[in-house]
Amino acid sequence: MRYIFLATLVFAASPLAAEDPDIGAIVERHVLPGYATLAAESANLADSAEADCTAGNPTLTDAYHSAFDDWISVSHLRFGPSERDDRAFALAFWPDPRGSTPKALMGLIRDEDPVVLNPSDFATVSVAARGFYALEFLLFDPQFSDAGNPPYLCNLIKAVTADIAANAEAISDGWQTEYAALMLNPGNDTYRTQTEAAQQFFTALSTGLEFTSQTRLARPMGSFDRPRPNRAEARRSERSLRHVSLSLEGTRALAMMISNGNPEVGTAFEAALQRAADLDDPVFAGVAEPRGRFRVEALQQSIDGIRDLLALEVGPDLGIAAGFNSLDGD
Amino acid sequence: MPNRRSFIAGMLAAGLVPKPTWADVGSPAFLSAGMKQDGAYVLCGLSAEGQITFELKLPARGHAAAGHPKVAQAVAFARRPGTYAIVLDCVSGRQIARLSAPPGRHFYGHGVFSADGDLLFTTENEFEAARGRIGVWNAQNDYERIGEFSSGGIGPHDIKLMPDERSLVVANGGIETHPETGRTKLNLPTMQSNLSYVSLDGELLEQLRLDRDQQKNSIRHLAVSGQGAVAFAMQWQGDLAADLPLLGLHQARSGHLELAEQASVRRLNGYLGSVAVAKDGLHVAATSPRAGVVQNFAGVALVGETSLTDVCGVAATNAGFIVTSGQGLVRHLSGQTKSHNIAWDNHLIAI
Repeated sequence: MRYIFLATLVFAASPLAAEDPDIGAIVERHVLPGYATLAAESANLADSAEADCTAGNPTLTDAYHSAFDDWISVSHLRFGPSERDDRAFALAFWPDPRGSTPKALMGLIRDEDPVVLNPSDFATVSVAARGFYALEFLLFDPQFSDAGNPPYLCNLIKAVTADIAANAEAISDGWQTEYAALMLNPGNDTYRTQTEAAQQFFTALSTGLEFTSQTRLARPMGSFDRPRPNRAEARRSERSLRHVSLSLEGTRALAMMISNGNPEVGTAFEAALQRAADLDDPVFAGVAEPRGRFRVEALQQSIDGIRDLLALEVGPDLGIAAGFNSLDGD
Repeated sequence: MPNRRSFIAGMLAAGLVPKPTWADVGSPAFLSAGMKQDGAYVLCGLSAEGQITFELKLPARGHAAAGHPKVAQAVAFARRPGTYAIVLDCVSGRQIARLSAPPGRHFYGHGVFSADGDLLFTTENEFEAARGRIGVWNAQNDYERIGEFSSGGIGPHDIKLMPDERSLVVANGGIETHPETGRTKLNLPTMQSNLSYVSLDGELLEQLRLDRDQQKNSIRHLAVSGQGAVAFAMQWQGDLAADLPLLGLHQARSGHLELAEQASVRRLNGYLGSVAVAKDGLHVAATSPRAGVVQNFAGVALVGETSLTDVCGVAATNAGFIVTSGQGLVRHLSGQTKSHNIAWDNHLIAI
């Protein structure tokens, strides 16, 4: 017994520094279950709307929150099946700097556009009028939820939820039947090597964190002289801060796998999640006041810090150099 | 008061006051912005052999530059979303003028002079309305702003003078950004890039849009041959497994368009940083810092590929092409290399 214990110690002490991340584990424990859960909860959302499409009915509201949570938890995994046919954009049209979503929804309602009666027709509607952010307007914004013509609104809600379910199912199905194999068995046109698959995950991780910092937080922050709390993501259903926490948890799961459990990375995520929890400001209303703004800014900085840490500690092991030009993006 | 068009037309006809010429600063062949090892940002002149002929400090990271066609003046543009551009006397290193973007605007990092050097055109973002603008500045009068017009799209980036000297070609990248959210892309699902040809007084003459399947291809950088062929380099905003080209050649008027299939999203990591057309008007070179390669084309047919880490700047020489990298190299593709302790920034501008 004692000898076995010693042998284990010796093995653990041998250098493991440049160990490749376990792509199989990331695909099977992070990606596939994430998208499968989204597909299941989205199907439940569509069923709930089919059963009772009244805005404000608690079953529908719960189903909305639950499916939206599942989307945010995988929203950093933006490659492959999510990008085919603009599925992810059809699930999540945000940010919306020109107010395209309310405009497009108003147009459908005003014209009583029969496109809502047939799922394949509705799939041709502008992505601005589809997905979770459109549904939020319909369920939580009085200009829609209290608008005239309840029967049309009901059909529209059913169409949007059915479309969400179809897209979530298509992404999950794409991963299970085709895309997972491309990543698990590199040496194909998409992933020539396992390193390329790891690089794809690293890019998704870094881009996901950037989106949370530079869009989810920066949009409502605006400038010091002109804060923009009305630009907070999904503020009508009070989900703005929740999205930050959920996406931090989702990216943390990926970061820990891709960094082989790097404790510094874990600590950095822990600190950012704690800052988010301490904010206690579900729609970032606090950005309108200097004190509240500084706290959101501190959260933003801690997320940017995670990205820097990953670029420094994890990227180089995956052959991702932090180049002066390659990182510039212009 | 003259209207904008007649005023600009009058400026075009105006004469030029003699000032120090490029020969007075060691006849640099190229301009490039860069970052020194101590983190200081500079604009440098480079000789045809890749030696530094002058080095001037910049207040922040640069992007591209524009050399005055006659006198030794260079405009260094701030990196997007910067609001300044600095006109430097390359003899004394003195700042001649400082361009400030008007309220509600920022620069994109590129600009170009008219053939006589009297006017400077800059690409700008009118960010609340998300409209691309071309600012017009009078180089004859302390670079005073004298007008502006539409760029023909959202997110104008590179801009070049056409060989007819009466029109400009603008790469409207199609991506909406707002300085409050830095470089965050706000409209990817609906973005629409285009290549716009505009007269010097702002009339839209012709416009190229790519096919629907290329909706997320952002036209960013341009090079124009003496015969008027426009090489355009793109940056793909979708999935990196897409099998689409990032380089095209367009002929205004005939509308002839060719795409370089081997400048593919996959091969180049979705990203071209710079493009140049050889003096023969036939050969094209394009760089991808993300893939670390320079590709060479005859027309749109791939004829060679060179690996170089963090390569981005590229310009034509008498013999072929010269490239620069973020690791300090200035390399003739024919072989000769100079190394400097400066990380060369995105663009190498031929004077």
